[in-house]
Amino acid sequence: MLSKYSFLLAVLLSGTAFGVHAAEDNSDWLESYNRAVFNFNYQLDKYTLKPIAKGYRAVTTPDIRNRVNSALFNVIEPVSAGNHALQGNGQKAVTSVARFLINSTLGLGGMFDVAEGWGLKKDRTNFDETLATWCVPDGPFFMMPILGPTTPRALTGTAVGAVSNPVYLSTLNDANYSDKITWSYTAVDAIASRERSLDLLDDLEKNSVDFYTTVRSAYMQNRQALRQLCGTAKDDGKASYDFDFEIEDEDEF
Amino acid sequence: MKKNIFGVLISCLMLTAFSASATVDAGQAKAFVEKVTQEGLVDIINSNVSQQEKDRRFEKLFNEALDLKFIGQFVLGRYWRTATPEQKKEFIEVYRQLNVKTWSKRFDEFRGKKFIFNGTSPSSSANQIFVNSSVPMDQGNPASVVWRVKQSGNSFKIVDIIIENVSLAITARNEYTAFIKKSPNGIDGLIKDLKAKVQQN
Repeated sequence: MLSKYSFLLAVLLSGTAFGVHAAEDNSDWLESYNRAVFNFNYQLDKYTLKPIAKGYRAVTTPDIRNRVNSALFNVIEPVSAGNHALQGNGQKAVTSVARFLINSTLGLGGMFDVAEGWGLKKDRTNFDETLATWCVPDGPFFMMPILGPTTPRALTGTAVGAVSNPVYLSTLNDANYSDKITWSYTAVDAIASRERSLDLLDDLEKNSVDFYTTVRSAYMQNRQALRQLCGTAKDDGKASYDFDFEIEDEDEF
Repeated sequence: MKKNIFGVLISCLMLTAFSASATVDAGQAKAFVEKVTQEGLVDIINSNVSQQEKDRRFEKLFNEALDLKFIGQFVLGRYWRTATPEQKKEFIEVYRQLNVKTWSKRFDEFRGKKFIFNGTSPSSSANQIFVNSSVPMDQGNPASVVWRVKQSGNSFKIVDIIIENVSLAITARNEYTAFIKKSPNGIDGLIKDLKAKVQQN
């Protein structure tokens, strides 16, 4: 047991040493472990979350799902507000607070985005993006059992996001209901989020000859894009996807 | 001191790269992508013709708009050099077929939607430029779609499509080189698997 934790700790601490470059991608030093966990998650998803998400899609209309998604996003709007503040963006923090108050009341518990119509545009953020703004390095890619692809910084963001979630915080002192409410919320959130990614993941899998590498590559390209949030990034405003796209000699064949 | 010289050299290289990209006609590159997406949405996806005719038109548009020989050569990475001329030919052809099928399905999801163009950004590669666009979605933020365009003479070709920061070329290169590295049959193994994907799709 101890070795498992010390392994995880080693992974978390060693994060800074590994930068990942999108175009030249040889830095998957945990590959055999990652592939094993990926296969485990894949099978688990195939027989549990994916069929449930498909069932959820089958019994609901797109409109109902939109209302559910809106309400779920509304719940974490205060988390966005707090993180905008931590990122030094007072204006956006105030907008998020206003959106939360308006949508929770007039938007019927967040099911309808009334605030958007009033010009208060949604702009979600999270603790991972806060860390990126503070230029905290991302660290290496690794697969978490059940949670899926992550990096040390992303995992820290997820953990902080979970404990700063209003559902968790507001039920913390209620010994009878805390667990029940938090777990039900987590389950609904997981199913709704899996439903949202059904088409994308199916499309990726269908066209991929190595699904693990495809998922890893797409995930890391998204992580790479977050580097722009760090003000002192060395990229000089270069887009994360602007790699050196030249081929040595365009052969005739 | 050495570091300083390196710094100067690197900034010189970057400057030449950026000025090289300035030779791309941004207006024309943007007009080219607008025309391609317009044709894809209006004349194909939203048109009232049979699926067979749609597929035929899409393939034609795709072949004309994308430089798949260039992309295919890039995505094989270092394995391109060791491939035989037959393998190269076969790979490019199967890669083209798979992409036609994949993208005609992806484009189908844009039915009833439209691309909003937001100008261009320079690229660090010579004669290339990024054309930025976004597609408003029913839920959540608009999806960002960036087109990497290469100019040679007066002709323009798309060499990469970047959806939500994920580049088609980089993803394919990571995937295919990882596959070849593992496969006992190397490039032939990859070609065989891609052919199976084309059949399934």
